[in-house]
Amino acid sequence: MGIGEVSLTTLILAVVAGLAIGLAGWLWTVVQSERKRAAAAGEEFKTLQSTQSQVIHTTKLASLGQMIAGVAHEMNTPLGFVKSNVEVVGELIEEHQQQNSKKLMVAADYLAKLARADLSAPTAQQAVRGASAKLSAALRAIASAKPEDATELLTDSIDGLDQLTNLVRNLKGFARVDSDGMDLMKMNEAIDSALTIAQHQLRDRITVVKELDEVPAVRCVPSQINQVVLNLINNASQAMGDGGQLTLRCRRNGDFVELEVEDNGPGIPDDVMPKIFDPFFTTKPVGEGTGLGLSIVHKIVHAHNGNINVKTEAGSGTTFTVSLPVDHAALRKSN
Amino acid sequence: MSARPIKILCIDDEARILRALKALFRHHEVYTTSDPQEAIATAKSADVDVIICDQRMPVMMGVEVLREIRAVQPRAMRILLTGYSDLQAILGSVNEGEVFRYVSKPWDNRELTALVDLAAKIAREAPVVDAEPINEREQDEARKRVGILVIEDDPETQKRLREILSPHYQVRFAATTERALQVLEQHETGVVISETESQRGDLTEMIKSLKQYHPHIATVVITDRANAQLAIDLINEGQVYRMLLKPVRIGSCRLSVEAAVGRYWQLKQNPLAARRFLVAPRITPSWLNASFLERIRLLPSRLLGAGRVN
Repeated sequence: MGIGEVSLTTLILAVVAGLAIGLAGWLWTVVQSERKRAAAAGEEFKTLQSTQSQVIHTTKLASLGQMIAGVAHEMNTPLGFVKSNVEVVGELIEEHQQQNSKKLMVAADYLAKLARADLSAPTAQQAVRGASAKLSAALRAIASAKPEDATELLTDSIDGLDQLTNLVRNLKGFARVDSDGMDLMKMNEAIDSALTIAQHQLRDRITVVKELDEVPAVRCVPSQINQVVLNLINNASQAMGDGGQLTLRCRRNGDFVELEVEDNGPGIPDDVMPKIFDPFFTTKPVGEGTGLGLSIVHKIVHAHNGNINVKTEAGSGTTFTVSLPVDHAALRKSN
Repeated sequence: MSARPIKILCIDDEARILRALKALFRHHEVYTTSDPQEAIATAKSADVDVIICDQRMPVMMGVEVLREIRAVQPRAMRILLTGYSDLQAILGSVNEGEVFRYVSKPWDNRELTALVDLAAKIAREAPVVDAEPINEREQDEARKRVGILVIEDDPETQKRLREILSPHYQVRFAATTERALQVLEQHETGVVISETESQRGDLTEMIKSLKQYHPHIATVVITDRANAQLAIDLINEGQVYRMLLKPVRIGSCRLSVEAAVGRYWQLKQNPLAARRFLVAPRITPSWLNASFLERIRLLPSRLLGAGRVN
């Protein structure tokens, strides 16, 4: 029995020890694999982050492409009349010169005829007086004949060149090719830039209403916020396929600047709503949408310590509200 | 410049474009407006020769204005002058506006004035084709006599077009340009339906050459390879009659072919009107061989009284 008891105790101990070792071993492998998984997840996370910044970069290029196409279209009209006007003014000057020389030729001919004639002194004096009168009349006619058309065409051309200058400025402001860092930015300017760029796809299909308050500047990466505004405008414009009204609002709400982009399209269905910010989610046919627009918006807004909210109602439209923190330093300075 | 000044109606929502055109055509009689309704009224009341219209207007699109003007002043030649080139709008200008030329902003003054001179000459000299479709009795006769050639090498599309068209028309199919030429040489063909490209290469040059020498033939392009520039070239250099995008839809296909047969029939009765579909001169690409072009040029012209142009 003693032996039996001992051996029983030993057996129990052995079993317990075995179990403990087994458990420890199991725990060890679990910990190891968890560690590996964590490491892998870390890697994955890093890759994901770099993919995401690549995606931001790619969609930035895409919106640059859209911008260039849009602005190029906007430029064609002023280019058209400026180019034509400059040529026409050249022709008008030439026509004007021809008319002038014709008038002077008449006077010159008269004088030549006088020179050839054999005249007595009093007749000559009278003739010279007549010639002089003719000549001054011609000069007066030349001085007073102002090519009015030309003046108007030149005024239009200067206007057109101003318009082209603005377009290029907008283009530069939107792309911010010169800086990719944080900077102070006025939201209303971002809205105007994005509207210029989206203009050719909004066209006459969509009425734009702007309700923009004077708001303090936000500290942000301007090219990214430009992209947010453009993506939201694009999204709204596409939601209103057959046309509608796009309302852009900008206002201050406490410590935040709020941007609202409202469309009166069909609204977002309940089953779609939870997915709208998912990367690669799109309701458009394959090849038409990347499904990245809103996910990029979401990502950028959060990276700026901001918020994005959506309000939608079937049949009456959708409103996206982006809130970005006001820059207090800048605010103090301006006060 | 002819003795009578050319009457030009310019329609654009940008006043500065209108002033520029008025100055450019200062030796002619120019009417300008930004209002589509006024444009339609003026086109008729002033009996204008040439319309220069922007594609984008408030209230009404340019092609709609052109379509309405075509109804009230069919004699006038229509030119679209625009800074925008999106495919849908260009297709509209073909299918609804039936424009003579599509000119992009910024334009070239010398080219535009030469174009307006040419358009005015045609507007005054060439008889008008009736904008109304031909009557049913004529349609029956046209269907019996006018052959339709389909240049298409995709068997699916061939099958679809055969289903849609064969019950009503005499349709012949060609998968290659060589076969297409044979059909044209052997049969009276009034309508050519074509892709823009086949497996073997471009088809637009053939369509353009055909129209260049035989302007009475109506071409219907049905394609899935459309882009804006290709469509603009098909208007200017090919005077394409209708342009549709694949997939082939039975309704629009039937309507387009019906209208094309009617157009050919009208030109057959009124051959001098074919001048209205004069194509812009183009540089034929070097790969288009001379004997092929020559065969197109020498295709038998079966129109009574209609000589080949060129």
